[in-house]
Amino acid sequence: MRALTLAVSLACAGIPTGYAQQTADSDAGTKIMALENLWGQASAVKDLKSLNAIFDDAFVYVDPNGRLMTKAELLADVKESPALQFIARAMVVHLHGDTAIITGTYQLKGLERGKPFVRHGRFVDTWRYKNGSWLAIASLSTPIGN
Amino acid sequence: MKTTTLLLILVCAISWSAQAQEAAEGGTGKTIRALEHAWVAAQSRNDNRALNQIFDNSLVYVEYGRLLSKSEYLARVRTENPLPQQVVMEPMMVRAFGTTAIAVGTYTERGMKNGKPFARHWRFVDTWVYKDGAWKLVAAGAAPIMR
Repeated sequence: MRALTLAVSLACAGIPTGYAQQTADSDAGTKIMALENLWGQASAVKDLKSLNAIFDDAFVYVDPNGRLMTKAELLADVKESPALQFIARAMVVHLHGDTAIITGTYQLKGLERGKPFVRHGRFVDTWRYKNGSWLAIASLSTPIGN
Repeated sequence: MKTTTLLLILVCAISWSAQAQEAAEGGTGKTIRALEHAWVAAQSRNDNRALNQIFDNSLVYVEYGRLLSKSEYLARVRTENPLPQQVVMEPMMVRAFGTTAIAVGTYTERGMKNGKPFARHWRFVDTWVYKDGAWKLVAAGAAPIMR
């Protein structure tokens, strides 16, 4: 059910839609924020299908430990992740034509070896408008407070 | 002797691999790589004028969980002592998406803190956008590599 809800939300947020747009529109900021929220939700429920639709095939990710991951590596990492909840906050979008930069903070909650944890961090993500959809092409997260 | 030969082979392989990667990335890769090095060079001499040209006005920079704007970043550079530390860029990868390019790489920062030498290893992700006839840095982030 959660996966279905995410799929519907993704469709509304601009992942291949009926009214194909050739360029990024004025709602781009709202759509990208929605996609960021979906990314967090999909990660928490390990919905790899939705994540696959959000990331460009050339996507690169740098995690808070400085590890570099490809799209395939991040999807494999999400599968094993102890995270149960991911909440993005204070998001700001900067549009540069068909490219968007979004920054924000996040709170990650989960269970590791039976113990609950909460982590806070900041992210900077790059999105690219391609064939009528916004796709994440790069992302970096760093912990807050270290 | 064996160790020296192995080291030579390793150095040649790394060099060949970097050259092959650069060739595959085309002209954009070369330009972005040059701009990344220009950024480090300008910062090492506190050259805010050069940095001002490299950075887009809407630049966002994330480091140690902090978010800095272009003006905040330049203000920080202005107040730093020139060359307090050395930044050594390592091979980077550039991915071009039309008028957008992503540079991913690592660098080592060496310097002195409280009279003691330190070395930190970082991984960065930078986003460049081609606008008004030039590539501009619009977003950058760095995370310390945990060993």
